[in-house]
Amino acid sequence: MPQDHRMLPAASHDEAAGQLFVRDLKVYLTEAIEPWFRDRAEALDPGPASNSRVETVYERLHEDEDFRAWAMLRRTSQDMLWAGVADSVERQAEALNARADEAPAIGSLTLDPDFVQPPYLAAGDVHLMPGGYAHDRGGVEQGAIMDRGGAVYMLGRNGGLMNDVRGHTLVSHLYTLYPDFRPGRVLELGCGVGASLIPVATAFPEAEIHGVDVGASMLRYALARARHLGATVHLAQDNAERTRFPDESFDLVFSCVLLHETSPDAIGRIMQESYRLLKPGGIVAHLEVPQRYDQMDLWGKIRGEIEADYNNEPNWKAAISADHAALLKTAGFRDISVGYQSATGNPVPGEGRFSDRSEGVFRCWFIASARK
Amino acid sequence: MDTIPPVNRHKPITGQSPGEARLLAMVAALASELAVARERLDTVERLAENAGLLSREGIENFSPTMGQAKERDSLRRRLIDRVFRPLRDDVRQKGE
Repeated sequence: MPQDHRMLPAASHDEAAGQLFVRDLKVYLTEAIEPWFRDRAEALDPGPASNSRVETVYERLHEDEDFRAWAMLRRTSQDMLWAGVADSVERQAEALNARADEAPAIGSLTLDPDFVQPPYLAAGDVHLMPGGYAHDRGGVEQGAIMDRGGAVYMLGRNGGLMNDVRGHTLVSHLYTLYPDFRPGRVLELGCGVGASLIPVATAFPEAEIHGVDVGASMLRYALARARHLGATVHLAQDNAERTRFPDESFDLVFSCVLLHETSPDAIGRIMQESYRLLKPGGIVAHLEVPQRYDQMDLWGKIRGEIEADYNNEPNWKAAISADHAALLKTAGFRDISVGYQSATGNPVPGEGRFSDRSEGVFRCWFIASARK
Repeated sequence: MDTIPPVNRHKPITGQSPGEARLLAMVAALASELAVARERLDTVERLAENAGLLSREGIENFSPTMGQAKERDSLRRRLIDRVFRPLRDDVRQKGE
């Protein structure tokens, strides 16, 4: 399996050192400083009698100068990540666009010049990535920034520079629960730079592979990335809540960590759209982060508030609180499975593990799947 | 650098003064620059040492040519721009 690909922006000596600094600063803030605030949060806990434990503790933590400094440095590490990657992409923008042009002419891209991104994305740049998913200067730059930044953001824990463990894990899920399933037409909602789409395309080489997302630059980059990896994919600028495709167009509709970047209402609409798009007997699979809100301790919930406020993750709480089984049922699906698929970078039929217990972050991913 | 758009929804840390936020961001940027420079120096020293080129005396007695000094000027100015970027961004955003 490839460790990187031709579209990935290279890092000069100093750019690589800068990215490693951001990585290590993030680790330091999480491992050396954060545990103290977990303790302080517990000391501030008004107890189960209070009906606003999280809000009360979160507010009182902000009275603490140390907490504010830590929260700021945490956000600054994120700003630095994007600034460093964006400067690096800017330096090599011409070469990256040329490399996109010289990719083998397989697959396709359909852009919509009148496309308007959904309001929850227009409200703030997710993960503080300047310009957000939809920013476009006419080339592949924003996709390159997201790809390289995503790999640094994951600290290498999601398949290194390929950032593709989620896609492989989704394939592993299909092998585990639907061993005879061979989709003819596949759609990923919110495909981003295609990091998860490629493993699915590789697992089902006979299938026609489609992906939609909101950003023109991101999709241009995703197509070039796929082309250089030898994968034929058809990409379109579209809204996951209501796509351009006719009813019953696909055998498999999936998403990877899309839902927690949308909105509470959009989650239900995406389930309904998945149903509309599937042929009878088709399979839906939505992969998400493995945390569940009701099982989190006080600090886990506080951390969710910090992420929502200072890393632009406003739908985090709603997505990990949502009853995915009920949403799928309401949308019309049957044979619903909800649980945790063991993370893998190399899915093998008969070897995957799907259970109702989480093995922890990065060791497994939450998946809700069902049949139409 | 100015092609990077400002972040949409950059919520201030509740209760923190903008001045303190800016100072923390500058310190982090400064630490990053130092880490990068230190790593580059380490690379150079190791390469030079392996090639038998380096002596400590040589470093102490080094004197740049005019062209070399100019290159060093631009490195230093780039560092200043990086470290003080939070201030520049604030001023720029208020001016817009």
